[in-house]
Amino acid sequence: MTSMKDSTVAGGRSRAGGDPLGPNSEIGRKLKQYYDELVSDDVPDRFAQLLAQLETAEPARKKD
Amino acid sequence: MAVSQDFKVDLLGAIPSLRAFAVSLSQNADKADDLVQETLVKAWDKHESFQPGTNLKAWLFTILRNEFYSQMRKRGREVQDSDGIMTSRLAVHPAQQGQLDLKDFRTALEQLPEDQREAIILIGASGFSYEEAAEICGCAVGTIKSRVSRARARLQDILKISGEDEFGPDAIATHVIGSSAA
Repeated sequence: MTSMKDSTVAGGRSRAGGDPLGPNSEIGRKLKQYYDELVSDDVPDRFAQLLAQLETAEPARKKD
Repeated sequence: MAVSQDFKVDLLGAIPSLRAFAVSLSQNADKADDLVQETLVKAWDKHESFQPGTNLKAWLFTILRNEFYSQMRKRGREVQDSDGIMTSRLAVHPAQQGQLDLKDFRTALEQLPEDQREAIILIGASGFSYEEAAEICGCAVGTIKSRVSRARARLQDILKISGEDEFGPDAIATHVIGSSAA
């Protein structure tokens, strides 16, 4: 696994337990709960459609 | 140069994070999705300025954040300043037995000024380092640290969490380190 970044940055730095937003912090835990809920929300189709549109539009826009 | 398939796949993969950040910033689901849409279009248009191998998520968050603030300016809405009026209109009841309701937390988060909210989200939830967050926000690392620290103090205050004493053996260390960052 090469990209450990996302999972380690918030809580995994050397001062274990001393991270003011780490697992021992109620604020830290709620913050992650709040955010994880948003991240796991279903993505509306409009975004996949948008990317598909951008892709189709592209060859016409830029010829190189 | 055409947009590569990899880039497109990575964009798709970043959408859930972008939406979460957009909701955190704008506190409004519809506005958030418009922000994400704008971000994707902009990212597509200027994909050549992205350096492969660098952090795409950070690059996209920067675009989204710029878009958010530029829209706010266009609407003539002033950016909340950190010493606003929020302490007077707090209606959150204290956390009981350490079990803090997520709804209360959300309400508390909404009351933070944008600069503090984005800082604590980037550091405490999105998983960015202080250096990355500083780059995304276009400010100094020290500024991010101080915003995170103020955001945390304010949330504790709003939610009536005092010192977080009851949350484990490292509470004192947490408290000391937390205060020293101010």
